[in-house]
Amino acid sequence: MSGVDTANAVRDSIYRACLYKDDMAWEKWLELCDDDYYYAITAYSPEISNDMTYLSGSREDMSTMMNMLPKHNSDHSPLKRHCSVYTVDVDEKAGTATAVSSVLVYQTQLDGINCHVDAGESKVFIVGKYHDKFRVSGDGVKFIERIVKIDTRRLDKGTHYPI
Amino acid sequence: MARSRNHEQWTAKPSLASDEYVDSRIYSDQEIFDEEQEKIFKKAWIPVCHESEMPKAYDFRTTTVAAEPIVITRGKDMKVRAFLNVCPHRGNMIERRPSGSFLEGTPSGNPKHMTCMFHAWQFDMKGRCVYISRQEEGYQDRLQKQQVGLRELKCEVYFGGFIWVSLNDDIDMTVADWAAGSLECLQPSLDEEPLEVFHYHKAIIPCNYKLWHDTNCEFYHDYLHYHNRITGFNDAYFARKNMGFDNGHINVGSFEVNYDNYEGAHSRETISFPHLPANHWYMIDMFPGVNFNLRGSSLRCDMMTPLGPDSVMIEFRGLGLKSDDAKTRKSRIDHHNSIWGPFGRNLHEDLLAVTGQGAAMNASAEKRQILHGRHENETIHDENGMRHFYEEWGRWMDRLPSNPDKPFKENSSAVRAV
Ligand code: FES
Ligand SMILES: [Fe+2]
Repeated sequence: MSGVDTANAVRDSIYRACLYKDDMAWEKWLELCDDDYYYAITAYSPEISNDMTYLSGSREDMSTMMNMLPKHNSDHSPLKRHCSVYTVDVDEKAGTATAVSSVLVYQTQLDGINCHVDAGESKVFIVGKYHDKFRVSGDGVKFIERIVKIDTRRLDKGTHYPI
Repeated sequence: MARSRNHEQWTAKPSLASDEYVDSRIYSDQEIFDEEQEKIFKKAWIPVCHESEMPKAYDFRTTTVAAEPIVITRGKDMKVRAFLNVCPHRGNMIERRPSGSFLEGTPSGNPKHMTCMFHAWQFDMKGRCVYISRQEEGYQDRLQKQQVGLRELKCEVYFGGFIWVSLNDDIDMTVADWAAGSLECLQPSLDEEPLEVFHYHKAIIPCNYKLWHDTNCEFYHDYLHYHNRITGFNDAYFARKNMGFDNGHINVGSFEVNYDNYEGAHSRETISFPHLPANHWYMIDMFPGVNFNLRGSSLRCDMMTPLGPDSVMIEFRGLGLKSDDAKTRKSRIDHHNSIWGPFGRNLHEDLLAVTGQGAAMNASAEKRQILHGRHENETIHDENGMRHFYEEWGRWMDRLPSNPDKPFKENSSAVRAV
């Protein structure tokens, strides 16, 4: 693929990943990822002056976690992502690409609090950035790493869903 | 067809002893909340942060207790001190950041000082006022710096490096006395070597703080957590003891958790805290709203700041050993996050449940009785932990938890309903 095609494929994969996650199509999301995919949600805390990891795991870890969801009690209020890809850098020699995107995650209340009153209300849930790495091959691009660096540290009820 | 229960039946006294249920008003009434701030939160020892958050001389942290802003400093002598974060001049909040260092000067002031940005009064790490701008011109000899130091608070570093403060100058006990033995089960594990905070996040939840404390005090809600049911339920688990200590504290004895039963979870054996048997799990709940929870490899601490009768801020911390190498630390973090992180399995479920309790009660709601009358030989699904808490609460508030308009009666637990 040319550099331009690769950059377009990277953007396409990032947006597709958002749509799949929005639809909670977790397996489809993971199909965009290579076998050695690594996912993490991180944040910096000015309270404890430390970088933190809030969640991390391999593709298999993510798949196991998602398959367990039906056994868990979760807030089913859907999360929807608004994402803008800011930069894509292709390293043709190494066969890799990196991208930085801004992401806002909105939560629309369903069963989280008192549904009669709150259901239907949308709020910003998390603000952050995606730092993605891709493997580039003849077949296209695959995620090999996503670090979601979030600014939000007041996470209230939290969630069982990846961002 | 007969109805399930009408108003009279719903609000009637339950067929349980008066210490086996509470009136939901204690979770929703503004007057009771205000009284709790005065009678409990301004009087007790409250842990506010951990010393690893301010390791160097001139480091600081800010916090609040009972709506009073507080700044904690570490002096040149490395001593940790606490002050009201309030300027004696015109009452501005002196330090606005959550943490940092006074080693560098601020726009209005000099290095190594706390400076109020408003009119540039400056204070040293011991809270003494060391500079009043244009002092002589404005105050002549009517006001001396010695007269306008900061309000210092009682402060101790205790139990694995946690920093405790009390707004009560007259508190006649140390934190060790206050703990009354409740911390002893974890003291060897936490005091062996320095700890470090690796996780912080907060939640503001629309429920009363006591509902969160109750949830931390009772394990009957294992039914909420698939993780607990699959990794925990066995004879040793059901034999875990719930023990009460003076001052309203409790702890829950340990047993061995079978983490392998939950797909994707890992044994914590190799990196258990010092002196802790492999995969063991202790829990300490201190009056009025603190929780220490050691699941083998990582320590969790919840600190609560009540914001109103129906609102609480909970700060969640995770701690490991300061000496951890990168790999060990990563394992501790993974273990912590899998259950207790904001994206973990259990914490989200716990927070959903108390949110539901909060949503279902309000100050003018038809009275609810909140039951905690299970007796199972003071083992894990006994609700004696909550009963122990409310006995202490009643004493401090001079209110009967089951009927808060009535004064507290000592030994109300002896009064069994027929
Ligand atoms: S209010 Fe602080 S210097 Fe005036
Ligand atoms: Fe729980």
